[in-house]
Amino acid sequence: MTSERSHNYLPVALLFVGTMLLGAYWQPHNPHAVDLNNVLSTPSLEHWLGTDHLGRDVASRILAGARPSLSAIAIVIASSIGLGLAAGVAIGFGPPALSRPVRWLAQTALALPTLITALLLATLFGAGLLAISAALVASTWAPYALSMSALLERLRGEPYWLASLALGSSVTGAVYRHMLPNAWPAIGALAGADAGRAIILVASMGFLGLSADTGRPEWGAMVHEYRIFLFSEPRLVLAPVLATAMAAFVLNRTLDRS
Amino acid sequence: MSWLAAMRMAFMALVSWLAAVAVSFVLIRLIPGDPVDIFANRMNVHAGDELVAAYRQAWGLDHSLIEQFFIWLKGFVTLDWGVSFVTGGSVSNELAPRLAWSAAIGFGGMIAAICFGTFLGFRAALHPGGMADSLSRSMAVAGQALPAFAVGLLALWLFAAELRWLLPFSGSTVERLVLPVALVAFFSIGSVSRLVRTGFAETAAAPFMRTALAKGLSRKTALWRHGGRQAAIVLVAGIAPDLAWIVGGTAIAEIVFGIPGLSERVVDAVSSRDYPVLQSYIALVALWIIFGLHLCALLRHTLDPRIGSLPSRVQ
Repeated sequence: MTSERSHNYLPVALLFVGTMLLGAYWQPHNPHAVDLNNVLSTPSLEHWLGTDHLGRDVASRILAGARPSLSAIAIVIASSIGLGLAAGVAIGFGPPALSRPVRWLAQTALALPTLITALLLATLFGAGLLAISAALVASTWAPYALSMSALLERLRGEPYWLASLALGSSVTGAVYRHMLPNAWPAIGALAGADAGRAIILVASMGFLGLSADTGRPEWGAMVHEYRIFLFSEPRLVLAPVLATAMAAFVLNRTLDRS
Repeated sequence: MSWLAAMRMAFMALVSWLAAVAVSFVLIRLIPGDPVDIFANRMNVHAGDELVAAYRQAWGLDHSLIEQFFIWLKGFVTLDWGVSFVTGGSVSNELAPRLAWSAAIGFGGMIAAICFGTFLGFRAALHPGGMADSLSRSMAVAGQALPAFAVGLLALWLFAAELRWLLPFSGSTVERLVLPVALVAFFSIGSVSRLVRTGFAETAAAPFMRTALAKGLSRKTALWRHGGRQAAIVLVAGIAPDLAWIVGGTAIAEIVFGIPGLSERVVDAVSSRDYPVLQSYIALVALWIIFGLHLCALLRHTLDPRIGSLPSRVQ
């Protein structure tokens, strides 16, 4: 996959994330407003995607449901990059007593199945965004750490690295100045795949019935709630399914340049 | 491989499994919320001291944590997985039929993915840039970027509601298994085919391929005959993430298609703090992943004795 090809997705992704942000804070109707006189109505100008079995506006619920996904993306990218880079530096520059256990942890974490980890963490913290984020961070920091440490090892042999140390800059300063610019493309690709995975994980946990608050709209939880209507009112299931699939796909394609 | 190396590998696998199980054992018991209180609430009885003490004894919670662990470990090995805190029944008896469903979906999906993925990867290596190549690339992207439950529900809607080819909830066992197996396989075919393609592509560029072609073999025969081993090596080296996916994918497939497998019971056990069920599930998942990784390393070593016998991540 060449970078020119994936650049084509950038405007789409920006539009998508922009809509998600907007939708998280503004909806045409109150997503919780029950209207029992107007249940399961078909799409109209008033209700773009119709209403559900309780007469709630589906479009508004889809828009409001973007919120948990957005929070998960933010948490995951911020903490994976932070934790991953710190661990990478620890592996690359720490004393053996630190670098060996960290490397071992990273290699073990690579084998963690994210969904299963989330499921098990939900037993510890209760079902919710905390368990989901913790699982994502636990299983996503490792690739950052390992690719960062591999990069560090390679760069340590470069003359400019030795030169900058010889000129008297501190290791931290040299990492910031010479390592990070080199690490950025690889980190960006990982972050894109992770943003997509975060959306998929949030929705999968919601679908399994393990999202925090069943009252609050969330795409996976909506699929879970509406799946009995799969055969009679497929629109109710297809709307959140397509929202999840499109968001995950677009993010994955934009930032993942592998 | 020498016997010593094999023993060492089995020992490492066992140690990893014990460590994973011990950590989860402690973590599960750190969960806030006492199972006896939760049980009493659920049954709507007053949790008096006598009742609590009786239940703690019956469930073995009156022993120290270390004793509890060894009691559990002995039970797990002898296929006595304890008593469910919720149903009061034997966990082994309850999980055995569920495990059969889950294993059928998991192994079925994996075998299907390896068969189709190998076929697709071989075709892709045979004609780089051809139809099989783009199909395998699209499947790899789809496998990364699409949620499994979304694909599952779309398949259910298409094949069961629109086309009416299958009765996924009420049909025969085979009919119920087709879609879940296909769903688990769908998400692995892409990565398997990319790995296999890489393996065959390495062979296609090797000098002995020219000799094989000069001998009069067709490109297809030569590639299959000489590249199979290399493709298998690349496949077993890179399949580790799929071992983990099989577990998560099976869970989603079970919920989407209403299969009475392990996952349904586990989701339930999460909310009711059913320790013995959760503990058995974790032990089984760890067993599958850890021994899967070591088996891959063993296969890799057998296929190419120059490679060490331990999984690369353990070394």
